[in-house]
Amino acid sequence: MWVYEKKLQYPVKIKTPNPALAKLIIAQYGGPDGELGASLRYLSQRYTMPYPELKAILTDIGTEELAHLEMIGAIVYQLTRNLTPEEIRSGGFDAYFVDHTTGIYPSGANGGPFSAAALQVKGDPITDIHEDLAAEQKARTTYDNILRYADDPDVRDPIQFLRAREVVHYQRFGEGLRIITDNLDSRNFYAFNPSFDKSKKRS
Amino acid sequence: MSEQEKLYRRITAHSFSIWELHLFLDSHPNNADAAKKLEQCRKKREELVAEYEAAYGPLNELGSQTSRWAWITGPWPWETGKEED
Repeated sequence: MWVYEKKLQYPVKIKTPNPALAKLIIAQYGGPDGELGASLRYLSQRYTMPYPELKAILTDIGTEELAHLEMIGAIVYQLTRNLTPEEIRSGGFDAYFVDHTTGIYPSGANGGPFSAAALQVKGDPITDIHEDLAAEQKARTTYDNILRYADDPDVRDPIQFLRAREVVHYQRFGEGLRIITDNLDSRNFYAFNPSFDKSKKRS
Repeated sequence: MSEQEKLYRRITAHSFSIWELHLFLDSHPNNADAAKKLEQCRKKREELVAEYEAAYGPLNELGSQTSRWAWITGPWPWETGKEED
């Protein structure tokens, strides 16, 4: 189960609306390398993940990603307050507006809806952790790309926090990969799948 | 930034340190230094929360610790405080 804490992991206080920037940042809400996909990926992979450290890492990082999803939602929400129809048009937010008004819908920067097709749960610890390492780097690149277009320090500050978290998560997953291989046959890490071939698991 | 905001920021900074150490200990469960630092951070946060609540009332972060009216009252975490409801 989860318990909601009525606060953000890191504060978001944006004074100036900017629909053009909101259109880009929503990529991290419902886009292919966004926080929703990250959370679902880790929280789904953990069921068949062996080793206590790995179950904890996936549960905790999957939970933190939900807090990041909330921060991105708050950024997009605050960037799209009190706009006139003309500001919405000139900011290039009109196509989104027609579909969702200023509601926060999980889509990517190009408007495509969130899809689980952008994530994988392979049921093999080495494969799944490599997917997670790649996911953290893809999210880090997305934040780097967003920062190229964000001038407002009120927006840059929380985005830089989120970018730094991707780097920390990458580090934790790297340690997780090491813990997995330490538990496997050092002559052939791929000799069996410890999530499936349980009888062959080294005790 | 008001004194209340400053104190609140110190609490959230400690919450973040606690989380970061907790996550580090997932992959380093034998690390005694990190475990000790986590204990210190938890203690310090408790002191700051007590100080905050004595001066400004409940933090209202968890619904189970607060009144039903405080829980449903804004601003919610994503809000600017200017919502008209």
